[in-house]
Amino acid sequence: MLTSQRALGRAILYLSIGCGVLGISELTTRAALAADYKEAPGLAKEVAGGKLPPVAQRLPDNPLVVKPVNSIGSYGGTWRQALVGASDGLLERTIGYTRLVRWDPQWTGVVPDVAESYSVNGDGTVYTFKLRKGIKWSDGTPFTADDILFWYNDILMNKEITPAVPRWLRSGNDPVVVSKVDDSTIQFSFKTPNGMLLYYLASNLGSDILAGSPAHYLKKFHKAHNPDVDQLVKAAGSPSWVALIQAKVGNWQSPDRWRDASRPVLDPWKLTVPYTGTTQVVAERNPYYFKVDPEGNQLPYIDRVTYDVMGDVQSVILKATNGGLDMQAQRLNSLETGMVLAAHREQGGYKLFKVQPAWSNGMLICLNQTVKNPVLRQVFQNKDFRIGLSLAINRDEINDILYAGQSRPYQAVPRPGTALYDEKLATQYTKFDVKAANEAIDRSGFTKRDDQGYRIGPDGKRIAFSIDVQTARKDHIDALELIRKYWKAVGVDMQPKPIESSFAVARMLANDQEGLVWIGGGGYDFLGLLDPKWYFPYENQSAFGSAWGIYYQNPKDPNAEEPPAWAKKQQDLYTELLKTVSDEGKLALMRQILAITGEEFPVIGTDMDPDNYGVVKTNFHNVPEIMPDTAFYVTPGPTNPEQYFMK
Amino acid sequence: MWRFIAQRVVYTALTLAAVSVVSFLIIQLPPGDFLTSLAGKMAEQGGDLDSASLAGLKARYGLDQPWYIQYWRWITGILLHGDFGQSFEWNKPVSELLWDRMGMTLLLSLVTLIVTWMLALPIGIYSAVRRYSVLDYVVTFLGFIGLAIPSFLLSLALMYILSRYAGMSVGGLFSAAYVNAPWSWAKLVDLAAHLWLPVLILSTSGTAALIRVMRANLIDELHKPYVQTARANGLGEMELLFKYPVRVALNPFVSTIGWVLPHLFSGAVIVSVVLSLPTAGPLLLSALLAQDMYLAGSFILILSALTVIGTLLSDLLLAWLDPRVRYQ
Repeated sequence: MLTSQRALGRAILYLSIGCGVLGISELTTRAALAADYKEAPGLAKEVAGGKLPPVAQRLPDNPLVVKPVNSIGSYGGTWRQALVGASDGLLERTIGYTRLVRWDPQWTGVVPDVAESYSVNGDGTVYTFKLRKGIKWSDGTPFTADDILFWYNDILMNKEITPAVPRWLRSGNDPVVVSKVDDSTIQFSFKTPNGMLLYYLASNLGSDILAGSPAHYLKKFHKAHNPDVDQLVKAAGSPSWVALIQAKVGNWQSPDRWRDASRPVLDPWKLTVPYTGTTQVVAERNPYYFKVDPEGNQLPYIDRVTYDVMGDVQSVILKATNGGLDMQAQRLNSLETGMVLAAHREQGGYKLFKVQPAWSNGMLICLNQTVKNPVLRQVFQNKDFRIGLSLAINRDEINDILYAGQSRPYQAVPRPGTALYDEKLATQYTKFDVKAANEAIDRSGFTKRDDQGYRIGPDGKRIAFSIDVQTARKDHIDALELIRKYWKAVGVDMQPKPIESSFAVARMLANDQEGLVWIGGGGYDFLGLLDPKWYFPYENQSAFGSAWGIYYQNPKDPNAEEPPAWAKKQQDLYTELLKTVSDEGKLALMRQILAITGEEFPVIGTDMDPDNYGVVKTNFHNVPEIMPDTAFYVTPGPTNPEQYFMK
Repeated sequence: MWRFIAQRVVYTALTLAAVSVVSFLIIQLPPGDFLTSLAGKMAEQGGDLDSASLAGLKARYGLDQPWYIQYWRWITGILLHGDFGQSFEWNKPVSELLWDRMGMTLLLSLVTLIVTWMLALPIGIYSAVRRYSVLDYVVTFLGFIGLAIPSFLLSLALMYILSRYAGMSVGGLFSAAYVNAPWSWAKLVDLAAHLWLPVLILSTSGTAALIRVMRANLIDELHKPYVQTARANGLGEMELLFKYPVRVALNPFVSTIGWVLPHLFSGAVIVSVVLSLPTAGPLLLSALLAQDMYLAGSFILILSALTVIGTLLSDLLLAWLDPRVRYQ
């Protein structure tokens, strides 16, 4: 218990540093609460009619107390949103954000959620979670350690359902061992230290555990627990029981779990109309939700959430400008949409709130240093060559043309205001200077030019290559056209190659790309730790050195290649980081990794991704004015949508 | 006649088999598969799929097999069990997704077809009979405008106008209150209140084309000797018109009836996407983008089947109308 207190203490310390008030209020108001909880008026009728037990019996012994952003809310209303197509992640983010532990609103640390407390042993091999006593699923069945065990034994460890234990639940090659201490205590143990588990649990990945946990419901779809499962499979028209249970459980990568409205949840709202090709998805309040406000009102405040399923993004924007969306950022969070939204504020009766892209950079240029063509490889691995190309880019012009001047020249480093920000790394080689650019490339040794002014490579032919760019990213294509012009001025022949994004990924997986531009992740501190692919060769998506990245993930992969010493050093540091328990220790290691990134300059950044906006109706309250925007933060989940209210 | 029918049916079956192979092959042509597009989508969000999970998923979806094995699995499922396979993206049987959407698509197409004909035929007849009159010029002019405006543009413009000035909720075929409600009289009324917009947009271009065809056909007929003869025999102008030349002028419509459905369908895809209609078009589009093989393949197969069967019907109708066809 001592360790548990220390962990909590650390969380609170972090919170107070980041001005987070949630964690503190949770502790101070807990004692003040009397047993007289209040609930939504709609539920009172059902309680009186005997359909539901009284609110005090539905809440756990120790409900989580959520401090509202601005004021205590009032009950009622429908929160209208819109999503696009068949696999939009909006439900995951807006009603599916319940976790064992989760991010605090300021994204400065991890706080308890379904777990009432957690503790980590000294070397980061054993994590203990205490669940809230008396907490219940949305159908009233108690949620206990056995539910988590079901997820572990029957979903995660079942080779048919989970062919490979995902990376975040392994340390090295060994999967996690989950065990039950008592009915409300579970332990996650690893053979070797795993310093990142809490972060993963709090991010988008963490929802997989609770999705696979309602044992009382899922057992009937599981071969090991229901020998007659084939009848259900047939009735559902599923090809196998594995496909059937997969459709109930899903994983965060696909919205499968939102196709089933009968699966019990711990979320604030529960589906009543599933996401199955209908034109509207509906969720209604979960009467057993385990959170209350400081006055003892059971959350959520809002009765229903609806999602209109749209065919394309333009109709979502139109809906927003007409006032048809109550609060939403997803699908509206692009620069040009922001201008349209701002112009129609009065007509639509809404305000804007800021969503800060978690991207370090609006567009990163990766020249693949492990490209299969040996000549290009030699050229791309030359640091002076890359520096020259960076200096040749007129980032201010790109900013003016593509970002309406809202951005600034920027390399691939975490955003200003984060603990990992480094001004020098952010601005190095960003000053547009054709003369300096030519000098740098001359230093690289490729000084000879052909009759058209293009430089000659080591094989005696013109230095010419293509850069893959996603057809869906018009802004990237436009930026790349400008860059083609800038690089031509210093004698380098680059051709943009617009391709469909799945093709781009297929080429990355095979290490086939000569160059690639992509939006750059890792803009926040935690995101840098969770998603470091642009800072060092981490996996195939580290497109500046795919083969080196593949080596880090799996040295035996046919496309893997041993990285040079500097990259190896970064990989070793990251391996060390994964074992480090303390946040400070992890950030210190990440700084070392970033210092090498700055020194070796593997990726050329262009401009920072500017802030975007979401809409919130003027009668819709308790939405913070600014929030980070990324799947890892599960935007807007950590800002506690259960305390949003309308009046 | 029976030999002719049998021959046509055999051809139809062969064509369908060929279409199913070709459509499956074409969907497979672009590099990558459902999983790479999934990985791409996740990469855009900043996430990633590690290679071990990717390999496991590949095996589960059967994507590690060559395309002809995947095809064989799919087509035998359809022929032997009426099973169109599983949609990767929706994790649901394709047939479930298909028939839901097909119903709405057929409804929209049929209503559009009826409206188109009801508008186009009388106008076409009028402008043929009253050639070069003021009204002929007016409808011809309007017709050409209708033909010239792309339907997606018209949808966008009408959507903007309706939502900006009339405060209408745009997108979908139902108001929020009725989307998930069971069928009722009120829901039907609500449907009608929404259906007119896509029908108007879709029938605009069709109507214009049809007016021109009808007008040209009828003008040809009006100057043939049998019309003169009938008139000389004292037949009333109206009776004469509808008894002979109009019927003959309708012939080309009958022989192309089979193409109407796929034409309306493909024209409706873009409009449906723009207007967020719950028809087959947007689902097919997203299935193609996500490389959701069985769903996309099944859609294309059914569309092709409708075209081929439609053509068969026209052939038979024509053979019945015009005996010469049978002996060709």
